[in-house]
Amino acid sequence: MNIVVAMKQIPDLQQVRIRNRQPVLDGVPMTFGSIDKNALETALQLKEAAGGNVIVISAGTEELEDTVKEALAAGADEAYLVLDDELENIESSVSAHLLAELIKQIENIGIILFGEGSGDNYSGQVGPRIAEILGLPEVGYVCDIELEDSRVKVTRSLEDCEEIVRVNLPAVLTIMADINEPRIPSVTQILKAGKKPKQILEVEDIGLDLKGDKKIITLSSLAPENKRKQITVKNGEELVDALLTEGVIRR
Amino acid sequence: MEFKLSKEQELIQKTAKEYAEKAIEPLVNQIEDENRVPDEVIEGLRELGLLCLPVEEKYGGAGAGFEGFVVGLEQLARVSGGVGIFVSVVMLGTSTIAVHGTEEQKEKYLTGTCKGSWIPSVAMTEPDGADPRMLKTTAKKDGDHFILNGTKRFITNTNFAGPMVVFAKDADTGRINGYIVDKFCEGYSISEPWDKLGSKGAFLSDVYLKDVKVPVSNMLGTPDEGFQTLKVTMAMGKIGLSAIYLGNILAAYDEAFNYSKDRIYLGKPISQFESVRNSIVDIAMKYEAAKLMTYRIGYLADNTANKAKLVKDSAMTKIFVTETAVDVSRIAMNVFGSYGLMKDYKMSRIYRDAIVGPQIEGTANLLKTVVATDMYK
Amino acid sequence: MAGIMIYSDKDELSFELLSAANLISGHTGLPINAVCINNSEQAQGLAARGAETYLINNEAINLADSKGMASALESAAIQLDANIILLSSNRRGKELSGRLAEKLAAGCLTDVGSIKVNRDKIECMRNSLGGAVLAAQMITSDYKIIAVESRVFEEMAVGKEGPINNLKIEAQPAELEVLEERAKVGDTANIESANILVAVGQGLKSENDMLIIKELAEALGAEIACSKPVATDKKWLPEERIIGLSGKKCKPDLAVILGISGQVQFTVGIRDARTIVAVNTDENALIMQMADYIMVADLHDLVPEMTRALLV
Ligand SMILES: Cc1cc2nc3c(=O)[nH]c(=O)nc-3n(C[C@H](O)[C@H](O)[C@H](O)COP(=O)(O)OP(=O)(O)OC[C@H]3O[C@@H](n4cnc5c(N)ncnc54)[C@H](O)[C@@H]3O)c2cc1C
Ligand SMILES: Cc1cc2nc3c(=O)[nH]c(=O)nc-3n(C[C@H](O)[C@H](O)[C@H](O)COP(=O)(O)OP(=O)(O)OC[C@H]3O[C@@H](n4cnc5c(N)ncnc54)[C@H](O)[C@@H]3O)c2cc1C
Repeated sequence: MNIVVAMKQIPDLQQVRIRNRQPVLDGVPMTFGSIDKNALETALQLKEAAGGNVIVISAGTEELEDTVKEALAAGADEAYLVLDDELENIESSVSAHLLAELIKQIENIGIILFGEGSGDNYSGQVGPRIAEILGLPEVGYVCDIELEDSRVKVTRSLEDCEEIVRVNLPAVLTIMADINEPRIPSVTQILKAGKKPKQILEVEDIGLDLKGDKKIITLSSLAPENKRKQITVKNGEELVDALLTEGVIRR
Repeated sequence: MEFKLSKEQELIQKTAKEYAEKAIEPLVNQIEDENRVPDEVIEGLRELGLLCLPVEEKYGGAGAGFEGFVVGLEQLARVSGGVGIFVSVVMLGTSTIAVHGTEEQKEKYLTGTCKGSWIPSVAMTEPDGADPRMLKTTAKKDGDHFILNGTKRFITNTNFAGPMVVFAKDADTGRINGYIVDKFCEGYSISEPWDKLGSKGAFLSDVYLKDVKVPVSNMLGTPDEGFQTLKVTMAMGKIGLSAIYLGNILAAYDEAFNYSKDRIYLGKPISQFESVRNSIVDIAMKYEAAKLMTYRIGYLADNTANKAKLVKDSAMTKIFVTETAVDVSRIAMNVFGSYGLMKDYKMSRIYRDAIVGPQIEGTANLLKTVVATDMYK
Repeated sequence: MAGIMIYSDKDELSFELLSAANLISGHTGLPINAVCINNSEQAQGLAARGAETYLINNEAINLADSKGMASALESAAIQLDANIILLSSNRRGKELSGRLAEKLAAGCLTDVGSIKVNRDKIECMRNSLGGAVLAAQMITSDYKIIAVESRVFEEMAVGKEGPINNLKIEAQPAELEVLEERAKVGDTANIESANILVAVGQGLKSENDMLIIKELAEALGAEIACSKPVATDKKWLPEERIIGLSGKKCKPDLAVILGISGQVQFTVGIRDARTIVAVNTDENALIMQMADYIMVADLHDLVPEMTRALLV
């Protein structure tokens, strides 16, 4: 059984600084979203328990060929990538179509894993979109997985309750950040990562029109002004009202 | 010229940083108080390949070379100077054996360290001093054995089983050679650990060798190669020390920079004071300079066939980095004021750690004479 | 083709979406349709708030099956001639929005924190780059799916009654089965993961006064935390509750800081809070400089007052 993990290349957010309310991305190394690493760890644990092959899929700029070493070092067996420098900041619908094409190249798929949200946008759309493209069942916000022959039993963590669901394979699952602690790749594995098999596709191979398919436009993107409001209030009631209005508390 | 880590090196750096922050940082106070590296940390380092970074893969090492080593050790030592010294001495032992050992010696001792449970030591210094010319420990040939006698002072990792490369003088020829002693063999004993000011965690004691029997096959190199072995050991130790105190500088930089933004004085962070900003800039510049020298010595170690030739460059790097660490600690401490003296602040430990660097692995004064000798020859 | 459709699995969230829909409708004049699936109570609630409500009753539609749910909402959108679909950005809503967007070839924005309508343009604000920036975005495709965070809009107030219509939707059997549903076990005291913190300092006069702090924390659903001396010197609270350099670094949505002076050793543990309220008798206390809401008062008076205001 192949376990597929979709991972998104993003700038290392801890190293992004803000200047004049704009993020400074120059010289910031690329990495994978932190929840994607939980998804990879989930795949590795499933493999350790039941065998199989862990395949990382990703679409991104040319740098991705280097970035993917991080996932291969952590234990993924293979990578399927779409590389193109035009693939910077692509929107979810485009990512979903590119990744779905990659998935179609892989045989004998059991589970397709995603993080509950990407490290940068956290929109959580790509997993469900791909499930729709491929016509597969999907369960989101999974905090526990148990493999059963041709099905899985998973726990979906909702805001107020947990739901235990049995679903037929192949299935798409999106993984909660707290499901596990991703392993730290060993130096030996890091040095072997570059030698693991990689399948690389071009955007032309997929026949997707990156520019024509825009569904979202970004009007502005600025760091919030990090100033404290410094509002003086006169009494308890006024304070409570202000907090209610701001939405940080509910009665 | 390319001043950039490879992706692999970037990942080694990340692995070391993550491990140090997740597994070592929470134990730092324990490491300081007990003055030893906990077993779980040693196992963690071994599993991740951080214990034996430059050792070749065929002996179970990570095969990351010395470039990988300096990049990784910097991150470990940034969190704990004691763990830094511990790992550096493991490198020193394995490298000495790797350069001059026979295939059997390497198979046994390198594999036993990288994959088994051994932790190597290197014993040079004696109560009289660290200068090889003052060595009093003797090795007397007796059939197919050497009999070693003497006292070694300030030796790291003496409490662990594993190989100890002991430098001793041949009782008959007066030549100095390295001998691999299995720690805790008959005649091997150690003193109570020394309690040092900083860089705590790596176990440090004296070693008593009383009629220790070493098979002839445990001599490192041929009898007339001893001086070369010594030079290699001296060079390697300095590469380790440079990486450790580079990590110390990085830690001081992080702490001082963050504190300058957090500490409010008369309604403004102290980073608004030009003198404080200048201090931070000074630290940043010194870090960059120390980093370039340290990474370069890693590069040279990977690209110099005869490692004995690294003596001068490694000495210059070690002097510069360890003295810079002391400077930086002092500047950083000034950013903190009295708060930095308190144990709650990492700065206090960083300062104590920094003081140690110039005094070990050859004092700066001594090393300058080594460099000068090379320059004026 | 034009109209607004709202759906959420949670009643309160659907009432909030109704307010969002009203905002958009106010600028565009588009009709609003509220959809409920197998939930007649919610339908009544929506109708009571004036919504043109459509109730889908079909037991074959399984709330836990995003595939079936997306199909049902797709049919509803087509039947109701709606192109702007507002969903709640809770976990179920987010799963659904991606899937539905793909069905309708729609652009989709989730975690939307505010909406601004500019003639017929709907601008959505959402966090990006891990929260480092706030992006204003707009969907340009014909179908638009917007998943709105909770508490961004107030629940629509009960008013003029709207009609409840039945909507017939076909459904395929789900490829998954819900075996069990169980309530979440409450977290044990952990000030690092709390959304709301009430932190007390040496401004508190006596250990007995801790009672009023507890009452406030309960009313807010908050965890109690403290400055170092309250735990280490006074021993009124355990040391696990210390915020700061020697304690925990916390990032709650709201920190109510009572009688704490705000030395840097304390503030490094709380500066990442989203909203900070500082209550102190000293208007020049350092803590006031990093507060969003400043209240110069004796905490012993203010705290009960706040609790009362919360409980009305
Ligand atoms: C934490 C720690 C770990 C250590 N680990 C090890 C280890 O694993 N193995 C090991 O063998 N040793 C180890 N040592 C010992 C250490 O390397 C030596 O102590 C160090 O090299 C200094 O030698 P010394 O104490 O004899 O200094 P001394 O030689 O006594 O120096 C005293 C002073 O004289 C000056 N001086 C001495 N010789 C000269 C000269 N020729 N020219 C100019 N000035 C000179 C020195 O610079 C210094 O100012 C360790 C020490 C410490 C503190
Ligand atoms: C190395 C080191 C580490 C430290 N680590 C920490 C740490 O991790 N966490 C920490 O909290 N501290 C830490 N401290 C201590 C820190 O510097 C402060 O001393 C401490 O935070 C002060 O606590 P406080 O604000 O509760 O008390 P105080 O400084 O005494 O402040 C009490 C405040 O209450 C106000 N007040 C008085 N009466 C009332 C009233 N009736 N109503 C409302 N307000 C009133 C006063 O105006 C004053 O502002 C550390 C100190 C050092 C040296």
